[in-house]
Amino acid sequence: MRSRFIPGTRAAPWLACLGLLVLWQIAALALKNDSFPTAWAAIRAIPLILADKEALINILASQRRMTIGFAVAIVVSVPLGLMMGRSRAVASFFNPLLMVIYPVPKAALMPIIMLWLGVGDLSKTLVIFLGVSLPVIYHSFEGAKSVEEKMLWSGAAMGLSAAQRMVRIVLPAALPEILTGCRTGLVLALITMVTSEMIARQSGAGNILFNALDMGEYDLVFAMIIIIGAMGICLDAMFETLRARLVRWSEPQFDMPLSFS
Amino acid sequence: MNVLPSRTEAKAQPVRAPGQATAMIEIDHVSQMFQTSARQDHLALSDISLTIEDGAFVSILGPSGCGKSTLLYIVGGFVSPTQGSARMKGRAITGPGPDRGPVFQEFALFPWKTVLGNVMYGPRQQGVKAAEAEAQCRALIEMVGLKGFEDFYPKELSGGMKQRVALARTLAYHPEVLLMDEPFGALDAHTRTRLQNDLLNIWERDRKTVLFVTHSVEEAVFLSDKVVMMTRSPGRIREIIDIDLPRPRHRSELLLDPRYQKYVVDIERMFDDGPVQGSAL
Amino acid sequence: MTVRAQDLLLGLVPLALVIALWQALVSFGYAPATLLPPPGLVFRRLAQQLTTLTFEQDVAATLFRLFAGFLIAVVLGVTIGIAAAASPLINSAVRPVVRVLAPLPKVALYPALLLLLGFGHGSKITLVTADALFPILLSTYYGASTVEQKLVWSALAAGTPPREVLFKVILPAAAPSILTGCRIGLVISCIVVFLAEMITSTDGLGHVLVTAARTFQAVDMFVPLITISLLGLILNGALGALRSYLLRGFPEV
Repeated sequence: MRSRFIPGTRAAPWLACLGLLVLWQIAALALKNDSFPTAWAAIRAIPLILADKEALINILASQRRMTIGFAVAIVVSVPLGLMMGRSRAVASFFNPLLMVIYPVPKAALMPIIMLWLGVGDLSKTLVIFLGVSLPVIYHSFEGAKSVEEKMLWSGAAMGLSAAQRMVRIVLPAALPEILTGCRTGLVLALITMVTSEMIARQSGAGNILFNALDMGEYDLVFAMIIIIGAMGICLDAMFETLRARLVRWSEPQFDMPLSFS
Repeated sequence: MNVLPSRTEAKAQPVRAPGQATAMIEIDHVSQMFQTSARQDHLALSDISLTIEDGAFVSILGPSGCGKSTLLYIVGGFVSPTQGSARMKGRAITGPGPDRGPVFQEFALFPWKTVLGNVMYGPRQQGVKAAEAEAQCRALIEMVGLKGFEDFYPKELSGGMKQRVALARTLAYHPEVLLMDEPFGALDAHTRTRLQNDLLNIWERDRKTVLFVTHSVEEAVFLSDKVVMMTRSPGRIREIIDIDLPRPRHRSELLLDPRYQKYVVDIERMFDDGPVQGSAL
Repeated sequence: MTVRAQDLLLGLVPLALVIALWQALVSFGYAPATLLPPPGLVFRRLAQQLTTLTFEQDVAATLFRLFAGFLIAVVLGVTIGIAAAASPLINSAVRPVVRVLAPLPKVALYPALLLLLGFGHGSKITLVTADALFPILLSTYYGASTVEQKLVWSALAAGTPPREVLFKVILPAAAPSILTGCRIGLVISCIVVFLAEMITSTDGLGHVLVTAARTFQAVDMFVPLITISLLGLILNGALGALRSYLLRGFPEV
């Protein structure tokens, strides 16, 4: 039942994109609904957004917040997750807190955080940070937990201190799992970014989307959806390339993302 | 080689009931090719021809990687050979069927079913009524020595017990041939011996045809009527040795029997002699 | 005291610390009560709200959308996942589409869903389904494609017809993986339904939060957040119990 290597795998996602766009085009032509433009009309509207200087600045500002939030989350969450994975006490200390936070939509904290910190970059970056942290902690935790005990024993026998074992053995051994978490976190960063901008409605990609919706410029709505979608797919593909290089020694993984927690 | 369905072995079967031994399984010029990860063709089995008579206990003995399990999978119908064919009672084997029951080294029990549920799977699949199947299977579980464990899940059993369940599960649907793929390979030496004894006792009741894959010379000689020795990659038949020892066999007597000892020593020596036919390839 | 009880107690410490810090911030006047209401007030308000009919209706609306979206995602995800694992043809069609759609931020589709399906239940349920679908589909696929070959062989040899193997072996053997996917999907459903209600809605917990935010009622902003967190915990616990019942035969549940 194991999936085999199929020639032409590289082209398949492009074909899938094309297929989805064609499907959209046909559906739009069939429905003849004013508020559902054809794929072609939406694609033609993309340059309108990208040529608009203000919109472009908005999108880039969104990107910057996303990058900062993501980076800070990785720096904080990976060590925390690894420590939780190797120490039962640390794990049982943090687990209930994380379980309580888990089902809370991070972007929903936006109104409260805005109340405290204002509508600036800080609030939005903080929300992205919160959104990314949980899956990265979770996957680092799982990765560190499943590190072979005997590997650590050999490390200790070779004279590595506890801290050295963490960096030289646990971190690389858990790397495949950590990177899976980062991949999930990256897409979540984008989702949280868009959602928080949809809720805060001040600036950014999510705001452009809903402004266009309010103005009834449906071509622009769908063009913006394509832009955000493309951002997600490109980020994921880039990260996947990086991941494959970093953990080439690991067992071949499924080329589909496996977890979206 | 033209193998007729009614072909008989030239040698007399000492312990067999009078009458002609008929061919149960015929393997006819079978070769098997695999693609390795480097996309190179690897010849696992090369031109194997073998006939297994009804009621015979035949072991396939060889070093790891000689394709002996593959040969068993071909008879089971799980793998189709690249070349040649396998037949059962004169009919070509095209897929798995309840006439050939496998027992794997990995046990392969259904983790979501209890011991009883696992054993009842086959009979229920054959359409036996639940109450009837349950009665039969409880008796079978008792026969393999697991009375009292009917409602346990496989994870709660030791390796030896799991293999007993796997044997009972296969026996439950009355296969004509048992296909045993290194069934005791994952067990410790003590458990292994006990299971070998119990397998022989169970086998003595109805003397089903058994095809038994192993890499242990002692195990092969102790259990079998016939030992098929294979060469390493590509797997070929190197020698077929008839084990002419009385049945029913008892371990304590057999281990002291010079004939048994000679078989073991001779076969081990043959392996030590190194490559013979064809392995210069 | 058992190790388990010790762990539980240790886990309550940070929760207690958070609430203590929260109380301290208010008590010592670092945060005005209009921005950060004291925890006692918030929990009293929650208890009071839970008895009012309007709040109950909001919870019911949220739960209805959550369950509808989640259940559709389970049915679709398990079906497509198993089919992709069983058939190379379906696999080669599903694989690239999933590769493209899984990393797509589904929430960006929400305006399109609003335009196509209106502002009612339909658009929100569809969004929940779209988000919960992929974790369930992917873990089903993963579970079904790593089923031990010899389990399938054993079933075939016992006389199972090949088309029944899917239901008698592959589906139960992939159950641990499928349920893990469902767990992730359920949490995502909680999150997404709330967000969708915040963006546009006339009822539901998300709407309660937005209404409170518009009138700067800090207390009422905390209530729906705590409610969704509790709902998530309860649903997660229920699914966990179902999981350990269904997987009682499997090792290391």
